[in-house]
Amino acid sequence: MKEIVIDPITRLEGHGKIHLFVKDDGNLANAYFQVPELRGFERFCVGRPVEEMCRITTRICGVCPDAHHMAAAKAADAVYGVTIPSAARKLRELMYNGFYAGDHTTHFYALGGPDFVCGPDAPKAERNILGVIAKVGLDAGKAVIAQRARGQRIIEIIGGKKVHPVTSLPGGLSKRVTKEEQQEVIEIGRQMVEFGKFTIKVLNDIVLANKAYVDLILSDMFTHKTYNMGLVDANNKVTFYDGMVRVTGPDGKERHKYEPRDYLQYVAEHVEPYSYLKYPYLKQVGWKGMVDGIESGVYKASPLSRLNVSDGMATPLAQAEYERFYETLTGDRSGRTPVHSTLATHWARVVELVFACEAVLQQAQDDEITSDKVLNPPTGIVGEGVGIVEAPRGTLTHHYKTDGNGIITEANLIVGTTNNNAAISMSIKKAAEGLIRAGQPITDGVLNRIEMAFRAYDPCFGCATHSLPGEMPLELIIHEAESGEVIQTVRRF
Amino acid sequence: MSSTLVLCLGNDVLSDDAFGFHLARRLQEQEELEGKADVQFAPLAGFNLLPLLQNHERLLIVDTIVTGRALPGTIHFFPMGEETPSRLLTSSHQISLPHALALGRALGMAMPESIDVLAVEAQDVCTLSEEMTPPVEEALEPALSRVAEWIATSLSEEYHGGFEPQVN
Repeated sequence: MKEIVIDPITRLEGHGKIHLFVKDDGNLANAYFQVPELRGFERFCVGRPVEEMCRITTRICGVCPDAHHMAAAKAADAVYGVTIPSAARKLRELMYNGFYAGDHTTHFYALGGPDFVCGPDAPKAERNILGVIAKVGLDAGKAVIAQRARGQRIIEIIGGKKVHPVTSLPGGLSKRVTKEEQQEVIEIGRQMVEFGKFTIKVLNDIVLANKAYVDLILSDMFTHKTYNMGLVDANNKVTFYDGMVRVTGPDGKERHKYEPRDYLQYVAEHVEPYSYLKYPYLKQVGWKGMVDGIESGVYKASPLSRLNVSDGMATPLAQAEYERFYETLTGDRSGRTPVHSTLATHWARVVELVFACEAVLQQAQDDEITSDKVLNPPTGIVGEGVGIVEAPRGTLTHHYKTDGNGIITEANLIVGTTNNNAAISMSIKKAAEGLIRAGQPITDGVLNRIEMAFRAYDPCFGCATHSLPGEMPLELIIHEAESGEVIQTVRRF
Repeated sequence: MSSTLVLCLGNDVLSDDAFGFHLARRLQEQEELEGKADVQFAPLAGFNLLPLLQNHERLLIVDTIVTGRALPGTIHFFPMGEETPSRLLTSSHQISLPHALALGRALGMAMPESIDVLAVEAQDVCTLSEEMTPPVEEALEPALSRVAEWIATSLSEEYHGGFEPQVN
């Protein structure tokens, strides 16, 4: 057996690898995806006050600091056993939707979009945000930048800083929002909704109008029938900030629905001997390896998963897009028939983007957000708390145990990307099958199609490595399994 | 706003990646640099850097780097041109710095004409810690001198837009 390693050499050299194991007959035996993980998180947390975590954990991940801020804040609320005021809850949710509206914009236009807007076989020099702008126009570029700025302005108003919010405390928020700021957020919300409509048009005109792309989305190469996980609100609609965790099977039927604090009854982590990575799976189904199907505990947690576990979207335009999504891909607009095509995640992200924009406008118009009462100071302590939010790239869990003074004694995190470790490896294997053969030339297009398989998950590399289309420096090495001799090396950097 | 910006990147709780954070603090304490250059620490990358880059003519990026070809603490100093490997300054889910600059220019934003990079070879950028490793900590003093020299040169009439590539 031969081993092929695709190794992104990054600012943090030597992290993030794709291992491909090729049998002597040239067929692929297995594939594993390794992302870098920050070391020493638990040691770093232990001994610190739990209320610090919502500010410190924003540094864990430069990609979704707001998600860590929210999960840590909710866990700290739980540690102190405090229910936050209604206004604070609404403000946190509004800020989080503002963050989503910016983050999903980045992914669609700058990361995932180039594969579809420019095409997977476009030269890598064009397969980036500049290529997208060249195709959809300069005004689109300006609109993307403006949309990101809107999201950041909402975070600044509610979270105190543009990128890394700092205002959540156990019991609520450290600052309120004025009526003038409310008016500004309402106007931002209106502009965001218009941007959402614009993005639907871009999706329609450039992606869905191209049959080749739709065929690619639906191709078997990018399909896995796994379980799905995501938060849902009281009506089983998609929600990002708070709700119950719902898990549905490959058949679309509800398998679990639980409170975040009970997550350990439902999720366990498998460790492969070759890797430091953990592979979360559904405990009550069991680990059967990196395979899909109803007997395998592998699940996905992604924008597509959130749509699959929900009964719809809570806002009108997003609901219409949800129905069109399922009608197009399954023929059943109710959403009861799940979509298993990984590449449909990009489209699901657009549905969520529209929802986030509408939710911002809706929630900004609630006058309660200007209430003075945004903090319920804790009066006691429970000593343990779990906070779960939906990070853009999957269900994010923060779990802290503390002593009687709120000093952390134990911490556990399951981050968005980690949920998808097994599914990402499965996607890479499927994509690589038929594309990688020992002795055959490995083109940039082949590497990009393999990258596309994991880019759909928007994987989050802990140490600021990257997954930029056309940019990811790759090294692919084919070894003779027995001797270890390098028989082929392909570099893209 | 000064026309010269020293932009220190990194992560203040990620071992050697905190180099930019500490250097920015030290620079901000130096009264003799006041008014000569803006100094900013930003735990950001790509898109998020765009607003910071605007309206400055000359830019020095300070960051950590792992080339594997130099000892930890080594100071790399080079002008950023089209040939500069973008991987050194790219973060996940974002766009690389060269792409951010190209995007800014394409959108009509005033981007710096001249960009230099001071990058310190790091030993550990994966362990969550507020402590840097000793060789990187020791690079702070010489790096401070290099930055002060860069600011002085960038303000002089002889400035031609960058240092020659060199490695200490």
